[in-house]
Amino acid sequence: MRFTIAREKLQEGLSAVTAAVPTKTTLPVLANILLETTDKGIRLSGTDLDIAVSTEVLADVETQGSITIPAKKLAEIARELPSAPVKMSSAGEQKVTLECGRSRFKLLGLPRDEFPSFPTVRFNESWRVRSGDLQKLIGHTAFAASTEESRPILNGVLWELRPERMRMVATNGHRLSKMELPITSEGAPSGDLIVPPKALEQIRKLFPAEEDLEIARGDNHLAFRSPFTSVFTRLIEGPYPNYEQVIPKDNDRVALADKNVLAQSLRRMSIIASDQTHRIRLAFNAGMLKLGVQTPDLGEAQDEVPINYEGDPLEIGFNANYLIEILRYMPTDEVRLTFKAAERAATIEPEGWKDDARYLGLVMPLKLID
Amino acid sequence: MAESHHAPPRRILLADADAFFVAVARLVDPDGAGKADLLIVGGERNSRGVVCSASYSARKFGVRSAMPIARAVRLCPDALCVPIPRRACSEKSREIRRVLARYAPIVETASIDEWYMDLGGTEDLYRGESLATTAGRVRLAVQEATGLSVSIGGGTSKLIAKMAVEAAKPKPGTGATGVQIVERGTEAEWMRRFELADIPLVGPKFQERLGKLGLRTVDDVLQHDLPALTRWLSTSKREALWLFDRVRGIDDSAVHPGEQAKSISRDETFAKDIGETAELERELLRLATRAAFDLRNDDLAARTITVRIRDFDFRTRQASRTLPEAVISDRVIFATARSLLAKLRRARRVRARLLGVALSSLAPYESSSQMTLFAEMQRPDSDTERDRALAKSVDFVRDKFGAGAIVPAGLK
Repeated sequence: MRFTIAREKLQEGLSAVTAAVPTKTTLPVLANILLETTDKGIRLSGTDLDIAVSTEVLADVETQGSITIPAKKLAEIARELPSAPVKMSSAGEQKVTLECGRSRFKLLGLPRDEFPSFPTVRFNESWRVRSGDLQKLIGHTAFAASTEESRPILNGVLWELRPERMRMVATNGHRLSKMELPITSEGAPSGDLIVPPKALEQIRKLFPAEEDLEIARGDNHLAFRSPFTSVFTRLIEGPYPNYEQVIPKDNDRVALADKNVLAQSLRRMSIIASDQTHRIRLAFNAGMLKLGVQTPDLGEAQDEVPINYEGDPLEIGFNANYLIEILRYMPTDEVRLTFKAAERAATIEPEGWKDDARYLGLVMPLKLID
Repeated sequence: MAESHHAPPRRILLADADAFFVAVARLVDPDGAGKADLLIVGGERNSRGVVCSASYSARKFGVRSAMPIARAVRLCPDALCVPIPRRACSEKSREIRRVLARYAPIVETASIDEWYMDLGGTEDLYRGESLATTAGRVRLAVQEATGLSVSIGGGTSKLIAKMAVEAAKPKPGTGATGVQIVERGTEAEWMRRFELADIPLVGPKFQERLGKLGLRTVDDVLQHDLPALTRWLSTSKREALWLFDRVRGIDDSAVHPGEQAKSISRDETFAKDIGETAELERELLRLATRAAFDLRNDDLAARTITVRIRDFDFRTRQASRTLPEAVISDRVIFATARSLLAKLRRARRVRARLLGVALSSLAPYESSSQMTLFAEMQRPDSDTERDRALAKSVDFVRDKFGAGAIVPAGLK
């Protein structure tokens, strides 16, 4: 194998794949990336077995071949090289020579056969999605997925693809976030996919917003493809719980509040809230929201936030952190909160959002004990 | 800061509630237990429990703590037997601690009825009064605020305070006043009256090893120098030095503030090694339900559950799991302990001589009551409302009728 590549191109390829390379692994070859020559240049691939990323960059290939080399070291070298053509060649299976200007490196690799093969996914039945739309959905929902191991299904983000819309939903069983966008993806089948948030996060960072992505499903995998880069991720097996059933339709008490003022007050109150439950008490009255917290062995605090509320007075308890977090992702300055009763789900939505997306946050209350 | 060559002597007190469980039982039931001179606390008369504490009069019949109730009743047939008023005991214990904290900057709860107090730096505050005078005032204040009496031992270390408190107890006929302070400089002399077994942390095994060397009393050890002790106690230099210091009344361990136990544990050494997994699980259930009961009695919840097993060949192994939230229920604690036991047994399936369950990462119990979106998705490793209600009812029955009154079906 022998090729010449611009330093910038090498770096571009490396930055795409190294995010998928695990920092700690029991399988040594996973700390390496796979380098293969193609018709137009070279293909770099990295994987941690959950996610695999593969990208092609232009290079001048003299002789074909492939090898795996330590990802971290190669990335560090590429960063420190002068801006000049990089010549790489391999003699035998395990030795790579890299030359750039007057610098010269010899790296030990591992045979190509040891590198895991990527899942096969056929793109004949695929969806086409604009990367920017996907970034928007991921950025507003993935945070709400569960990080606990006890319910694996909730560790994933539900991604519903329909001919005219796509939607992402994530929940940990106590709070939920949901966003929906209109799309046109003609001829594609409907699909419900449960995707690990880590993979979605990679996809959000990897593809430029204006790029169109092709997405296809394999047996247990999902593949994302742009002209030069592919990402594969493991799918979590369903079924996802029936979330639509728990989204309240008859919440008749509505409050409008300034997002930042409310979030600031919640953060102040949460200092005194219990480290275990983060319990705070909200009392909605006409025009005024009273926040209170009382924690045995610590103390108590109260605050007031002017709001637009005309319903019957309502007292309701929450985990302050859930509210603070959802507010952080709300795209508007004003938010709309709806309630039914103290033991029923509350919703939070952006107010006056000029966007064709629809966004909803949902939080289950904490029971208040007197 | 000027260098001080002579730190002021430490001023340590140990307050020990007199016949604590008996006294609390009398307080909560003035017409029954309150009037019984012969009183045994631990369980109902015909229960299978053990004696937790007995009144001084009942002790004269030979009744001792940890003795089965049935045997205690045979020794002292006229005694009134009552269950441990656990909640009242926890409350009274906290009340006493609060009083002590008014007098000492640092109070360490050593057990439900024993507290170390470090009065370091209070010399000026108490205008140079003697430690005995301060101890006397503390004693009166506790009596007045809680209706319970404490005896107080004191001196320059925790060891000396502990070794003095027994002599402070106002038992009939001893002439003790409830306060015993060992003056500075007389510690070594004070220690000479004791057997090594009286020193805290000198357990049965250590006693046996010392006995083989002909060392039974403090005086026995005082005759030998450190090199000789080190040679004999070949296990470690530290152990020899530790003993060398203790018999001279030297102990520089600090009084640690804080009132919570770091862990609650129950273990059992079997009369005969157990090889059957089913039988071990039954023992585990017994231990887990007891530990969970103790946990709830202290109004605590635990996040970490540990199972410890000692194989027939004395190899000790343990496995732990930390749950996403603190729990109190028998169900979750046992289910977690059981899967840990299964893990230990998968690694090595041999006869076991000891099994233990420990609950740690303790925090004051708070019912979180976070409501969930999906009813069917209640986490298997967290308490449900039903678990909590069940635990409360079970504890109520046990408080009223004794620990053996209600047990899991698997233990019948």
